[in-house]
Amino acid sequence: MGNCLKGSSADDISLLRGSESTADSSSSDQLGPPPPYRVESLPVYYPSPNISRPVTQLTEEEQVKIAKRLGLIQHLPTGIYDGCKKNRECVICMVEFQMEDCVRYLPCMHTYHVKCIDDWLMRSFTCPSCMEPVDAALLTSYETN
Amino acid sequence: MQSLKAGHLDASRWERRLQKELMSLMKEPPPGVEVDGDQAEQNLSLWTVHMKGAEGTLYEGESFQLQFKFSPKYPFDSPEVTFIGSNIPVHPHVYSNGHICLSILTDDWSPALSVQSVCLSIVSMLSSCKEKKRPPDNSFYVKTCNKNPKKTKWWYHDDSV
Repeated sequence: MGNCLKGSSADDISLLRGSESTADSSSSDQLGPPPPYRVESLPVYYPSPNISRPVTQLTEEEQVKIAKRLGLIQHLPTGIYDGCKKNRECVICMVEFQMEDCVRYLPCMHTYHVKCIDDWLMRSFTCPSCMEPVDAALLTSYETN
Repeated sequence: MQSLKAGHLDASRWERRLQKELMSLMKEPPPGVEVDGDQAEQNLSLWTVHMKGAEGTLYEGESFQLQFKFSPKYPFDSPEVTFIGSNIPVHPHVYSNGHICLSILTDDWSPALSVQSVCLSIVSMLSSCKEKKRPPDNSFYVKTCNKNPKKTKWWYHDDSV
């Protein structure tokens, strides 16, 4: 199955750590807030649509939830836009698809730019257009893989 | 990977989406809705929308003003929408400080929704009202709430109006 999230495996929990963690591997294990000058560069995650937290403040349960989500997203098929007339526009950025755009197909067959829909799926596992939960159809294929 | 971490459209795509929404709202506004295009052009993150009460409803003949604030994370984050100005509609889901209890503005928001669809929902919410009154907890709420209605933990329980 194709995906546009290269360089990481589905269950790689290191995705949850900041990019700094390679330079200073002990920092991600430290308790307490990081030095202020680093705050801006820390990735922020959304355990629920209205809850945002910098990566250092996620609970263990939230880390697991987000790691699972990252894994699930990679099991959603991607492709290159082929000019299909049914899907003309990405409703997230409201820009018409161009040939060669990298798109992702949800189980309900709604199509979005990969970078647009992945940002949304990290907050909510529903299709923006029909509000169908993405999990249900996915989980079966995920477990058999 | 960067886009996964960032959680928002980059500035140019954010601007393009809002410009596109503004153009379509100016060209083909829903009935009774008019956006202040000049103000929005000057500051794309703050819009004022004028709304007329629909004919044949309790709000016929009234005019209202809605304010839309867009964070840099729009459309992943919902816009902050409040009634402003001297005439705040008297409605069971509208507090006297202009805050609106409407699920698509928080829990049920989706990036496929737009300023236009939010306006339509608000027009329809007003139009289906059977009795003009404030929410039962109005005076307590306006004294204690955050300035930003999105910080309120809304409890959506009434689908009838």
